[in-house]
Amino acid sequence: MARMKFLCDADRCIECNACVTACKNEHEVPWGINRRRVVTINDGKPGERSVSMACMHCTDAPCAAVCPVSCFYTTADGVVLHSKDLCIGCGYCFYACPFGAPQYPKVGNFGSRGKMDKCTYCAGGPEADSTPAEYAKYGANRLAEGKLPICAEMCSTKSLLAGDGAIIAEIYKERVMKRGYGSGMWGWKTAYSDSPTG
Amino acid sequence: MKSFVAALLFSAIAAVGVSMVLSTIQQPSSVAFTTGGARVGDPGNNLVGPS
Amino acid sequence: MPSSLSTHKVSVARALCAAFALLFVLAQPAAAQLSFNPTAESVHEDQLLKALKEGDKITGRISIPDAMAASLIQPAGRDWRDFQRSKMPIIGGITIIGMLAVLLIFLAVRGRIRIHQGWAGTKILRFASFERFTHWLTASCFIVLALSGLNISFGRILILPLFGPQAFSTLSAYGKLAHNYLAFPFMLGLVIMFLIWVKDNIPGKIDLEWFKQGGGLLTNGKHPPSPRFNAGQKGIFWVVILGGAVMSVSGWFELFPYLPGDVTTMQIWTVIHAVMAMLLIAAMMAHIYIGSIGMEGAFDAMGTGEVDLNWAKEHHSLWVQEELAKGTVPAADTPRAVPAE
Repeated sequence: MARMKFLCDADRCIECNACVTACKNEHEVPWGINRRRVVTINDGKPGERSVSMACMHCTDAPCAAVCPVSCFYTTADGVVLHSKDLCIGCGYCFYACPFGAPQYPKVGNFGSRGKMDKCTYCAGGPEADSTPAEYAKYGANRLAEGKLPICAEMCSTKSLLAGDGAIIAEIYKERVMKRGYGSGMWGWKTAYSDSPTG
Repeated sequence: MKSFVAALLFSAIAAVGVSMVLSTIQQPSSVAFTTGGARVGDPGNNLVGPS
Repeated sequence: MPSSLSTHKVSVARALCAAFALLFVLAQPAAAQLSFNPTAESVHEDQLLKALKEGDKITGRISIPDAMAASLIQPAGRDWRDFQRSKMPIIGGITIIGMLAVLLIFLAVRGRIRIHQGWAGTKILRFASFERFTHWLTASCFIVLALSGLNISFGRILILPLFGPQAFSTLSAYGKLAHNYLAFPFMLGLVIMFLIWVKDNIPGKIDLEWFKQGGGLLTNGKHPPSPRFNAGQKGIFWVVILGGAVMSVSGWFELFPYLPGDVTTMQIWTVIHAVMAMLLIAAMMAHIYIGSIGMEGAFDAMGTGEVDLNWAKEHHSLWVQEELAKGTVPAADTPRAVPAE
């Protein structure tokens, strides 16, 4: 069984934001919600690197652990999804997430903060696969169609890799060996356990 | 007993009043995270439902 | 073009091509052969994480107006998760279940504190209706706040298995709304309570004496002299006012996130809110105990406002003397005190 992960090759990312745009378009993400974003470290200085960041679908997801209503679940592929029907919009998942993935439709934490939204690895949610109901709540379900997330598919430099963790780690290692450099698999130590299937 | 019931009523009414006041200062993210140059006509409500 | 010049150009071009090709071939396979390493000065996640101070984040530049998005990795979230799911249940369990155990043991050993002289039958006004209103305003809000708050912390472990996900989520959603909105009448109640009772709750020498005698809690028939509020009550007053203030400030910040700072600051405030809540709940359990089943005649103070005269003489002797001097205490043969609403 595949264990889906994201890997952003910071040495190839050119901050073009194609991944962001593709995600926004594919899921009709409303204004103000940022499922994926590009962060540039050391901007303008030598050694500047850009990293495309969204939900990393962690092994022992902290968001799932702190949720007061336990609205998260991990699929057999290792994708961390949540149910917007159960979500009470408390905001705890954002405090716990190392990567800042959860997004909320409203700003104040009283009344309705709205249902938390985040990158779904293009795998939808608990609703039936590829239905309009699922699209309205969670966006497109590409995984159900056998496709990989659109952000990685649209990456102009193939810096953002998505797929089985073992395979993309192998691709990255090959790259590093061939070209002779690599600034590492950003976020992997924080998100995933050491084993290839973790 | 009277003061107890009065207290319960007062809390309930105060809570409702507070909810109405606070809802006026609630901001959707499409408004809060929009810079001056952007003019957002239809922020969209896929994924987040009608605001 | 003159042929000699073009030939020369062609040969120069050929030489250049060969040179480039050679360079290209030489540059090919082995990593160590590269004379230029584009990643030599690049930032590595490891070095950045190591350089982080406690609670700090790896941040960069973004193009999104939401400033929170600038944080790439915030490792403090992991510590906060550990606290919420490992340490906090222990703290909460010890304080709340511990207090429950202490109260049960106290009830078993000491029993209900009786009025030594028996009921007098005559009453004296202890709390006016506005005072009782303020107390019940704060108290009823506190009960709902405590239960809905405990639901956020422990509901997933204790209540979700009983109700199932949908019902539990609905309950939690309403609990969250109740928690957020009832906080305001609670804060108002705290302010009013402070204003009307602070003058009777200033600590004094008489309180030292009360503490020395253990409040008379453990010895039957022992009643250290006490003004309107004894030292134990003064303690509860200040615990409620100061603890409630901490809850109010930390709760305010949770209602308006990122008002005090970024996500790391918010984590600290949620910890403060949770720990203070556990302590306050334990304190209120003791307060509710002694005011209801723990002491005969005590509930009347907040129930009707009028307490039995013998109860008052035993537990608040100095206060009864003051009321006597004021002329509000009835003579021994009058069946009822003059109600002063």
